[in-house]
Amino acid sequence: MKTAIVALVCAAATTSSAFAQVRPPPPRPIDVPGISLRPFVFVAEESFSARQTFNAVFGRSYQPLWGGGLNVALKNGFYLDVSALRFKKTGQRAFFFEEQAYGLQIPLTVTVTPLEVTAGRRFNVTSQLRPYVGAGLGAYHYQETSPFDDAPFDKRHVGYLVVGGVEIRVSRWFAVSADAQYGYVAGIIGSGGISKDAGETNLGGTAGRFRVIIGR
Amino acid sequence: MVLLFWVHINGQGVNPARIFLYPYTLSAIDRGLATDVIRAPTGLSPAGRQVRVTSTAPLDRTGRSGNHYIAGRLIVKFRDEMSAASRLAAVAAVSSNSSIPDRPSYANFDVVRIGPTEDPEVMAASLRSRPDVEYAQAAYRVRARMVPTDQFYQRYQWNMPLIDLERAWDIQPAAASSIVVAVLDTGIAYKSAMFRFDARSFTDDAGIVHNALGTIDVPFAAADDLSGPGRFVAPHDFIWNDDSPLDLDGHGTHVSGTIGQLTNNSGYGTAGVAFNVKIMPVKVLAGDWDVVFGAAPDVGGSDEDVARGIRYAADNGANIINMSIGQSGPANCGVNPNQDGCAPAVEDAIKYAVAKGVFVAVAGGNDFQNGNPTEVLAEIASRVPGAVSVAAVDRLKNRAYYSGTGSWVELAAPGGSQRGFGIDGLILQQTLDGTVGACLVTPVACGIAPSLDRPRFDQLGFFFYAGTSMAAPHVAGVAAMLMQQGIRNPAAIEAALERFATDLGPAGRDNSFGFGLVEARNTLRGLGLAQ
Repeated sequence: MKTAIVALVCAAATTSSAFAQVRPPPPRPIDVPGISLRPFVFVAEESFSARQTFNAVFGRSYQPLWGGGLNVALKNGFYLDVSALRFKKTGQRAFFFEEQAYGLQIPLTVTVTPLEVTAGRRFNVTSQLRPYVGAGLGAYHYQETSPFDDAPFDKRHVGYLVVGGVEIRVSRWFAVSADAQYGYVAGIIGSGGISKDAGETNLGGTAGRFRVIIGR
Repeated sequence: MVLLFWVHINGQGVNPARIFLYPYTLSAIDRGLATDVIRAPTGLSPAGRQVRVTSTAPLDRTGRSGNHYIAGRLIVKFRDEMSAASRLAAVAAVSSNSSIPDRPSYANFDVVRIGPTEDPEVMAASLRSRPDVEYAQAAYRVRARMVPTDQFYQRYQWNMPLIDLERAWDIQPAAASSIVVAVLDTGIAYKSAMFRFDARSFTDDAGIVHNALGTIDVPFAAADDLSGPGRFVAPHDFIWNDDSPLDLDGHGTHVSGTIGQLTNNSGYGTAGVAFNVKIMPVKVLAGDWDVVFGAAPDVGGSDEDVARGIRYAADNGANIINMSIGQSGPANCGVNPNQDGCAPAVEDAIKYAVAKGVFVAVAGGNDFQNGNPTEVLAEIASRVPGAVSVAAVDRLKNRAYYSGTGSWVELAAPGGSQRGFGIDGLILQQTLDGTVGACLVTPVACGIAPSLDRPRFDQLGFFFYAGTSMAAPHVAGVAAMLMQQGIRNPAAIEAALERFATDLGPAGRDNSFGFGLVEARNTLRGLGLAQ
């Protein structure tokens, strides 16, 4: 903020006095570099689309995630996010009967490791508040292990995602953001296991994310 | 060391008393593996191995429905609001020679006494037409579903790996230690004791008349590959109406062995499916010697005993009930259970048990070659979620030649067959040595020349049997293991057993194998998230 005020004062001092009284010049944009690289970390709560499946195995369909990445922000408002996250949780093997899940007390550990790339645009509503929207692709690595598996299940697939949120600049080098991200990841679940019985094929879902961003 | 004390057991109704003399402290006489006595299935119905007793005890009769019933009694379920006087008036309207004794324990129905020559099916039909009667039926006979033949794990127990039990035991080495399985059968060789009986004259199946032996002392021994501390709970005998459901036949002991034979016990004997379960012996079927000793008019039991046995088991902590028993009857009991030949009393009892969280496994029937009649009890099981009827397969997973087929078949399990396999195709477990017991009255059926004139039930060996009676306990055992893993809803247990069964025959459910061969490991393991 202090930087902006100083910049405005300097700008006024270099303008002719006549024009200054009649039509003041538009404020100069915030001193944003042409391209900035901003690392971030985030925590998220994802509501998985495969609700019955996750309920059966973990007892609930919303799960915490954490991760981090790099935001590449361009001066023109466009940005590119590259993030990696991880979900690892141990539930139990189960089966369905009349839409109710019955757990079998046999541990089942699921690890999901997505690598996501999102491109989008930020909008300068105010100097502190920047809504943004974006879309992207993810490479999803799914692993499932259980003590009595014949072999571990390990599968990778590409998914799609859209995101929308708002970034709040707290200081020159520090911002936070809150957004909602929807992911669609087919091709991993749904062809076997309890997800097949549930008829659920989307490993994605809707995540509410809170990010801490370092950089201008 | 012999403890001498006398306890009189008071029988009820027509049952004579037997006298418990003293605990029999000697161990069982181990006859070892019995491979030399082969009793191949002949296609004869179990009725073919009856002993005829020289007595005035009422024998069962064949009704107009073609089913056997016990003469002199009628099972009636009056509506609850009906007074005792109204009940008496109702039965008096159909029989001038009727009475209603106190309701027996573990029955929600009355057992009406009628004249021994009166036709209970006719009376039942008349009573069923009354609005104040829920159901009425004759006391139809039920019989053990077994084909006993002759006789250690690696060599003989092909049935266990056939349903992937070895890998299932990896998942659950505790093998259902907290689960109680009630075995409704001919009793179990569960304790060692000496009993005194009054043995009547009888005619064996060779037509030879044996004079009455009078009062004889008979030794019993517990099956040492089945017994252990805390193993047996709440025993009850509905044939002798006491708490000593001793096996005088061998069927119940063999069935119990498949459910829970002691396993990994110093390399001895055979293995059981859920080898740590607690077993509740509930005797509802009479053996030949029960008949000779006057406790029953004929081998087998009746719907009355079975219905009471089911309720007893459910009320006394059973989690699973195995019923390797059956009776044939009309095909449409599901549409109209309140008709001759059907067993609404048993159906009511099975529903009662399932509602209390008890899973029920019922043998699917051995009479394929005898006209393949509908199995009434198995058919009931097929209509009750939480009860399953079980067909039999041989060691190549083909339908066993005797295993009944029909809409009532829900699952298949190893029942064994000697055809094409000899004894290697049969089910081996420890049980009574029939050559010194049951076979003394059925030497022809056993194919032996009896060497004794009085039976003893303290000699046990490892014998080969075949039948859907042997198939059902495999399912009961796997269900017990699933229950140990926290699945307490009987309907869910049935769903899991069927969901993870190995489909045999035509794709999907069929009348020979139902949903397929029970698969222990996959059932216990369930599903992962994606695989």
